[in-house]
Amino acid sequence: MENTKENGLANYLAVRAPQIAAPTIISTLLLVVWQVGVEVLNIPEAILPTPLRILETIVLRWELLLLHSWPTLSECLFGFALAVAVGMGLGILLALSQLFRVGVYPLIVAFQVVPKVALAPLFIVWFGLGMTSRVLLAFVIAFFPMVVNTYAGIQSTDPIMVRMARASSATRWTIFRKIEFPTALPYIFSGLKIGITFAVIGIIVAEFVTAQEGLGYLIVFSEGNVDTPMLMAALIVLSLIGVILYAAIGGLEKLIIRWDVGQKM
Amino acid sequence: MTALHVRVSDFSKTYKTRRDEIEAIRAVDMDVRETEFVSILGPSGCGKSTLLMAVGGLLPMSGGRIEIAGQLVTGPRRDTGVVFQSPVLMPWRSILNNVLFPIECLGLSLGEYRRRAIELLEMTDLDKFRDDYPSELSGGMQQRVAICRALIHNPSLLLMDEPFSALDAMTRDAMNQELLRIWEEFKKTVLFVTHSIREAVYLSDRVFVMSPRPAVISRVVDIALPRPRDLSIEETPEFNAYVTELRQAIEG
Ligand SMILES: Nc1ncnc2c1ncn2[C@@H]1O[C@H](COP(=O)(O)OP(=O)(O)O)[C@@H](O)[C@H]1O
Ligand SMILES: [Mg+2]
Repeated sequence: MENTKENGLANYLAVRAPQIAAPTIISTLLLVVWQVGVEVLNIPEAILPTPLRILETIVLRWELLLLHSWPTLSECLFGFALAVAVGMGLGILLALSQLFRVGVYPLIVAFQVVPKVALAPLFIVWFGLGMTSRVLLAFVIAFFPMVVNTYAGIQSTDPIMVRMARASSATRWTIFRKIEFPTALPYIFSGLKIGITFAVIGIIVAEFVTAQEGLGYLIVFSEGNVDTPMLMAALIVLSLIGVILYAAIGGLEKLIIRWDVGQKM
Repeated sequence: MTALHVRVSDFSKTYKTRRDEIEAIRAVDMDVRETEFVSILGPSGCGKSTLLMAVGGLLPMSGGRIEIAGQLVTGPRRDTGVVFQSPVLMPWRSILNNVLFPIECLGLSLGEYRRRAIELLEMTDLDKFRDDYPSELSGGMQQRVAICRALIHNPSLLLMDEPFSALDAMTRDAMNQELLRIWEEFKKTVLFVTHSIREAVYLSDRVFVMSPRPAVISRVVDIALPRPRDLSIEETPEFNAYVTELRQAIEG
């Protein structure tokens, strides 16, 4: 809650510089140890390629990596968007409707116990080896955190706040839109962050199993060819995609939630 | 003598919980005239909030009737404004937009009432914070915002539920003074709940003393102190005579 408005950038850098520098130094150090260790101990490339070798693979074979990144990214976003829409919708219905709470919530909880990854073969039986199966797997994995967080967020609304709104002649719909939904937003954003991470997992597992295209496919394919540098290059690109998606949601959150969330009234 | 504004007759309230029934209020009768400043005084848990919320149409009643301006209260009314014990500001809205919230709910023109919101904020010395978030304001300032919000749609009746009880003594004195200033200016009917005897005497035309559960009104005291009142009035023997009288009434 310090007022950083005045001495903005200099202050910001003074605080942030060590925060950025420390992990950078440590990871650089680790990479050096890795590089030197592999060379000194003469570890075969098929077991553990050096960081430079992996970088070389990424630079030289970027076209192949890009070719497989695209389906992974688009299917992931597709499954995630589906999970957000359906999950948030259901979370809202659960919070607003007694009927849903009694009738549907136990089913959702029961479904959550199923290890979703195990559904992949079933999806293949039903929907084939194409994109549909993969998107659906990402969807079922990412869906649950969205439902639960939306529901919990709305539930966390202070009853006094609702009473205040009623005293101001607010309708039920206004209370939802202007009180409950904004209250739930921080919860929804943590749901989105968990959800996007889960969606990536869903897509990769589905690509392992369907073995058609995508970075997951590239990983198992490289493993089959004992092309460990390529495997690790694909892994790095995949991680990069994950980080970018996560950061995008974090950025959106910062943009939308500008108030002090810790504030309890 | 001004017209009758609020009439509570034979009001009772029993809370039904899972385990048992709590008879909070047995039978309360109360008449409040227009522009009158009335306090409801009683110990914690005696049912003051229950009574006030019922007048605000925010609580189902168990028995009796409550009328405002001759009309039976069946739910929240647009001619009533409520200030709660805590400011209950929306942390995601600026101060100005918090004040304007009832206008949005009532479907009134925001453009028209923006001017009035700014005037209210100027009057309570909060104008320069209008674009800030509530978390940037102190507790006393937040409660002043809550008062502005309760006044924005120009209600004729203001219900206040221990609005200053969470504030330190000095802020509280200042807020009481400011409240009287606002009341003199706007001439509203105020129903003010408190458990502070001095606060009740300082502010009110009349004080209703509530007995502990199940509550009834055990005493009504007219406070015939001159107005406008200044904090120095608290040093006068007349003031302290009222304080003593009310203390005895509460202790039974
Ligand atoms: N929602 C509720 N459910 C059950 N009992 C309640 C509820 N609200 C208040 N009560 C009980 O009713 C009595 C009066 O409460 P309240 O009106 O809040 O008192 P006060 O405002 O004077 O402190 C208390 O004993 C309290 O425990
Ligand atoms: Mg109370």
